[in-house]
Amino acid sequence: MDAIYIDPFVEAVCNTMKTMLGEAPSRKELKTRNDNSAQGDVSGIVGFASNNVFGSVALSFPMETAIKSYNMMVGDNIDTFSDDVRDTVGELTNIVAGGAKKVYADQGLSFDISIPTIVVGKNHSLTHKGGTPVVTVPFSLGDYPFVLEISVKLGNGARFQNEKAKTQTVKCR
Amino acid sequence: MKILVVDDSQIMRRIISNNLKSAGHSDIIEAGNGAEALEKMSGIELILTDWNMPVMDGLTFVKEVRKEQNYAKIPIIMVTTEGAKTEVMEALKNGVNNYIVKPFTPETLVEKLNATLGK
Repeated sequence: MDAIYIDPFVEAVCNTMKTMLGEAPSRKELKTRNDNSAQGDVSGIVGFASNNVFGSVALSFPMETAIKSYNMMVGDNIDTFSDDVRDTVGELTNIVAGGAKKVYADQGLSFDISIPTIVVGKNHSLTHKGGTPVVTVPFSLGDYPFVLEISVKLGNGARFQNEKAKTQTVKCR
Repeated sequence: MKILVVDDSQIMRRIISNNLKSAGHSDIIEAGNGAEALEKMSGIELILTDWNMPVMDGLTFVKEVRKEQNYAKIPIIMVTTEGAKTEVMEALKNGVNNYIVKPFTPETLVEKLNATLGK
């Protein structure tokens, strides 16, 4: 999968975190995983589909990062998991999916997105609609890591209208 | 001013409500989807609604609101992840007055709020 189809999701993470949490995360190199094991304790996953594109995107947070994200987003100071933390993970995933959706639509590949599903628990499974391998991009908000996961499949002949629009790796900061 | 905030995310409703309160608006009613929102329309003077929600989505909710003579002039701001031009145009065509794409800053929300209210 060409990086230009992953970049909209990476950019959306940068933009979402910077805008809603007030801090742009740093990112590391993308990797892939070939199993269904989530890397965090709380994950939000959103599916997307159309005639030309289908797949899913997820954000997976260690518990500390999920709580930290909630606190940053609403200005609170809790230290335990709650329904609000769960909702925060879902909403951040939803916003990231929406950000990528707009870029894909601008490039001629529209799709519909699902309402987020949130999974909680150590060593939980995260099964993506586009199957494996799943592209994973590690991020961190200071000392608080999290992972973006993308699985996307394009239909026969489906491609961005302008594949040369961006050639540089997306850097959050 | 009585304001109705509609979003299936409790966190997002809280963020929007907090921003509205910071802007001086304290009479805020919340709903988790369009169907619930329709039941809470009495006395409402401004609506902020999400698009993608279970039970009844935001666009359907807007269309239902605009069918009612009594609600025809209530300003509606859509606050949503749907940022593509076609979606924005569809919302405006169906009676939405202003549009905020998530993610948004408090400043953006207040700016759009004031623009909608003609301030």
